[in-house]
Amino acid sequence: MSRLFLLVEIVFVIAVCFSTTAFAQPAATLDPSVATLLKKMSEKPRQINYEGIFTYQHKDNPSLQTFRVLHWREGDMTYDRLQHLNGPEREISWRGAIHDCESIGDKLRQGKMIAIGDVVNQMQDYHFELRNKERIAGRVATVLLAVPKDPFRYSYFFSIDDETGLILKVWLVDEQAHAMERYQFMELNLNPDLTQINEVPLAAIHKSLPPKSNCVKQEQPTTWQLAWVPSGFTFAGEGKPRENLEMLMFTDGLATFSVFIEPAVDAIPEGVAQRGATLAMMTGIEFQKKLYRITIVGEIPVITAQRIAQGITHN
Amino acid sequence: MNDQTSAPLAETLSALMDNQVSELELQRVLKASSDVELQSVELKATWNRFHLVRAALKNDLTPLAPADFASRINAAIEAEDKLDITQSQSIQTKTNAGGSAVLAINNWWANVGRVAIAASVAGAVILGVQQMQTQPGAMGELVAGNEQVAPVAQDQLVVNLPSGINAPEVTARTVAVQSGFESRPNQNRRVVFVPRQSAQPVNADEVSAYVNELMEVHSDNAARNSGQGVLPFTRVILTEDE
Repeated sequence: MSRLFLLVEIVFVIAVCFSTTAFAQPAATLDPSVATLLKKMSEKPRQINYEGIFTYQHKDNPSLQTFRVLHWREGDMTYDRLQHLNGPEREISWRGAIHDCESIGDKLRQGKMIAIGDVVNQMQDYHFELRNKERIAGRVATVLLAVPKDPFRYSYFFSIDDETGLILKVWLVDEQAHAMERYQFMELNLNPDLTQINEVPLAAIHKSLPPKSNCVKQEQPTTWQLAWVPSGFTFAGEGKPRENLEMLMFTDGLATFSVFIEPAVDAIPEGVAQRGATLAMMTGIEFQKKLYRITIVGEIPVITAQRIAQGITHN
Repeated sequence: MNDQTSAPLAETLSALMDNQVSELELQRVLKASSDVELQSVELKATWNRFHLVRAALKNDLTPLAPADFASRINAAIEAEDKLDITQSQSIQTKTNAGGSAVLAINNWWANVGRVAIAASVAGAVILGVQQMQTQPGAMGELVAGNEQVAPVAQDQLVVNLPSGINAPEVTARTVAVQSGFESRPNQNRRVVFVPRQSAQPVNADEVSAYVNELMEVHSDNAARNSGQGVLPFTRVILTEDE
């Protein structure tokens, strides 16, 4: 009798093992702790007020730049100010609506873009690794490493603040493990004095950017199409920055690139420009006997830009 | 990737890399490498690949993507005989010094293979676009973008990293080709622009201004979608002209 029970037990255990291995198939799901971290990174920072000072450096300019950033909300509006702290006084400021849509990037990171067959395809193009905690700007942050699974994008090291989900440090790293761009907060204040913020005058060189909505109405661009984008890149809206210049935006939740298309006026320079992590690839195409100047700008490797450029077509 | 190098020769190459080849085998390899038929081309390709693999395993890779640019630039320079390179600054690529550490993360091994693939894809991609109408003239000046008037010299930075991660040095690469134009002041908006090999002279100022404008517009995309708030706008260069 006891042997029978033992046999049943063994069979039961084996059955359980098989079923768990079946569940452990690499489905389109992230490790839950990574998913939680990505969610935190995407949700909370918009809702809080903060003021911080951070450093910025990229590979094509050895000098270290420092900035102050302010983000706060007043009533139904959010405000941002980004000030250069070294060199000439320069500043960019924004106004936006608090109840605006979530951006495509935020949605992708949280797995809110429903893919085919309702299988949530959350950030499947990166391999994520949670690393130890570290202390940045006097606060505790969790380090998250995102390594791409294909050669069409770069790697990221994030240090994400435990309390607020703010990214306190970013390293953008290329395939040879060279850092292309780095940010790191030195100081973060979660209770900025709002009355004082508004009194600080804008810098001499100042750009005020108009508020734009994060809501993207179309699924696909209207006039131009990209036959190929790297896996996971999603259309994130289009625009017309100025007359005759069309812009298509794409993102995979971490990396972004924009395609600019403009009817060519005269000679089209073709080539590649790079500053830090940002690449700009210029080329030309012809459609219906008209020449168009194409520029692909993004934090992507040049092979990605080249392949994208080959697949640009007109509807 | 069709490896037509015969197996014995490939083996000899491998042994040669480890310095374990006999005199007779060495002669055979040298003879094959100077063979004018296809064999020598394949042999050299195999030789390159072995070195690449070894360098990758030893984490000793020289920057491959920039080398691709460097070879393109070099080819463009050689093609333009009339170009007068006055400055001694030429394309410099920095190799990892022997003692410098690299990211010691297991995932990077997977990336090693990708580097080779990326290099071969980059080489294989043909920009399928028409040749555009161009203006005759000398190649435009390409200057590294920074905030100083003089071109940025090669500089090495020691990277301050959180414990547990070793990083290579961050290097600044510059590309400067002079063609008789004088270097201009206020070059802080310049980007390093590398034209395609058979390409046409460019007006560096105009390209710079255009690319800067687009980078700024793109920063809006990055700010919205990359989860870093408005930080991507640190990439934007603001000058008094704005």
